[in-house]
Amino acid sequence: MANISGNAYALTVLSPIKNGCIGDSSYQISYADEVQSRLHGLGVCEDSPLAKVPQTYLARFFILDDVFLESTPGCDSFCNLWDILSIFKERFRLLALPREDHLKSRYLVFSSNFHGDLESYLRGMWSAVSADIKHIWEHCVAFDRVQDVEGFIAYIKRCQLTANLFFNGSTDDPLEEQLKALYLKQQFVKFAVSHQGLGAAELQDAFRAFIGRVQPNQLATPTWRPGQSIP
Amino acid sequence: MSNIAGKAYAMNVITPIRWYMAWINRLIFLIAYRTPSTLRGLITLSLIHYARWVIIDRWKFPHLDPSQPKEDLHYSYMLFFSNFNGSWDQYVDSFTFAIPAGLDLFWKKNVRYPKSVPLTPFHDYIRHNQIDTDHYYNAYPLASSNDVKSAKHLKKKLIAFERAVRDAGPEEFLTKYHALLVEVQYDLGDMQPAPIVSLAAQAVDARRLLDAQRLLDAQGRR
Repeated sequence: MANISGNAYALTVLSPIKNGCIGDSSYQISYADEVQSRLHGLGVCEDSPLAKVPQTYLARFFILDDVFLESTPGCDSFCNLWDILSIFKERFRLLALPREDHLKSRYLVFSSNFHGDLESYLRGMWSAVSADIKHIWEHCVAFDRVQDVEGFIAYIKRCQLTANLFFNGSTDDPLEEQLKALYLKQQFVKFAVSHQGLGAAELQDAFRAFIGRVQPNQLATPTWRPGQSIP
Repeated sequence: MSNIAGKAYAMNVITPIRWYMAWINRLIFLIAYRTPSTLRGLITLSLIHYARWVIIDRWKFPHLDPSQPKEDLHYSYMLFFSNFNGSWDQYVDSFTFAIPAGLDLFWKKNVRYPKSVPLTPFHDYIRHNQIDTDHYYNAYPLASSNDVKSAKHLKKKLIAFERAVRDAGPEEFLTKYHALLVEVQYDLGDMQPAPIVSLAAQAVDARRLLDAQRLLDAQGRR
């Protein structure tokens, strides 16, 4: 399945948002704008709710308001063909014009790149940030039927789209492994720079102390926190 | 709203494709998926963390309830999501310069795709069809994709080195330590917050800092 590349998974979700507005006569806002406003209010980096979701490498939310009319010039073979044929009949020129599409619902798009399988990921997500999930998806169609983790998994699967191609240009290791490796890299660079020119015995002692401090085989700690934005 | 999280940029592009031609793109993606060597060009663009292409048939937009109106579209749509390092221009230009033929193949049957060369119409096409991200999360904002890959290599070498020199004398340790530094020299590099690649993202950061400061001040006054 093209959602998977090694141990990395590409989740693509399109959740339709209810049409209509909330609020009273003094202030009204569409459901989709309300969802967007909630997304803008989420914390960033280590304060993002997604930082608490196990195994998330990179993830995003956005609102798909509508699709675009391809009004810019292009070199589409169909258009070129119709253009050539238009020397015989004017109606061929009209065929070259792009059709206008509009969506009838606006969609909350959630895309995540993570380590592991989908069900474990969604279980971890629900268990870590169920309050945030309800806050974000509250105004989506049929989300009011989601009561527990099983309901959430079933809901996401109904909204899921299968990727046709997933390209992994990074690694597919567990997130803890990636974060520990990055922590070690940062620490070792500092060590190498600050211990230049030492004698053999002194350097060896310093290296032993360094290894004791950074614990290369301990993934849990010391390490970088998910979303850590300050070195 | 921000397309940027640390050193990563989130690109979302949605483009129409004639429903009766989508199978050609699907076939191209299937061949690329089954024969990863075809993606060698993409791998040379080491600035990419993860990217995906998703084709939605015009009748397959999620429909969850009878109260939701069914979509009635002329075209199917192709979604492209990418997570990369650097600025928008660097990314789009590197695609054009490094793998123009591959790029044209992936968007081959999309309506009014202008081809990746020349550059300006291609820029216009991507800009026209791009949607901004409302919330973007990156587990390692300080790191680029190359940092993640090099950190993996460095960790492996460091653990092996530590085992190898555990019982070594100082002189042997020093010799092997220098050899380690030579071996991992391309994996070394300090990771710091990203330079400014977008004035809009910088403004968002400044605003967030200001809001946080105001919140702290308000809490201090209480």
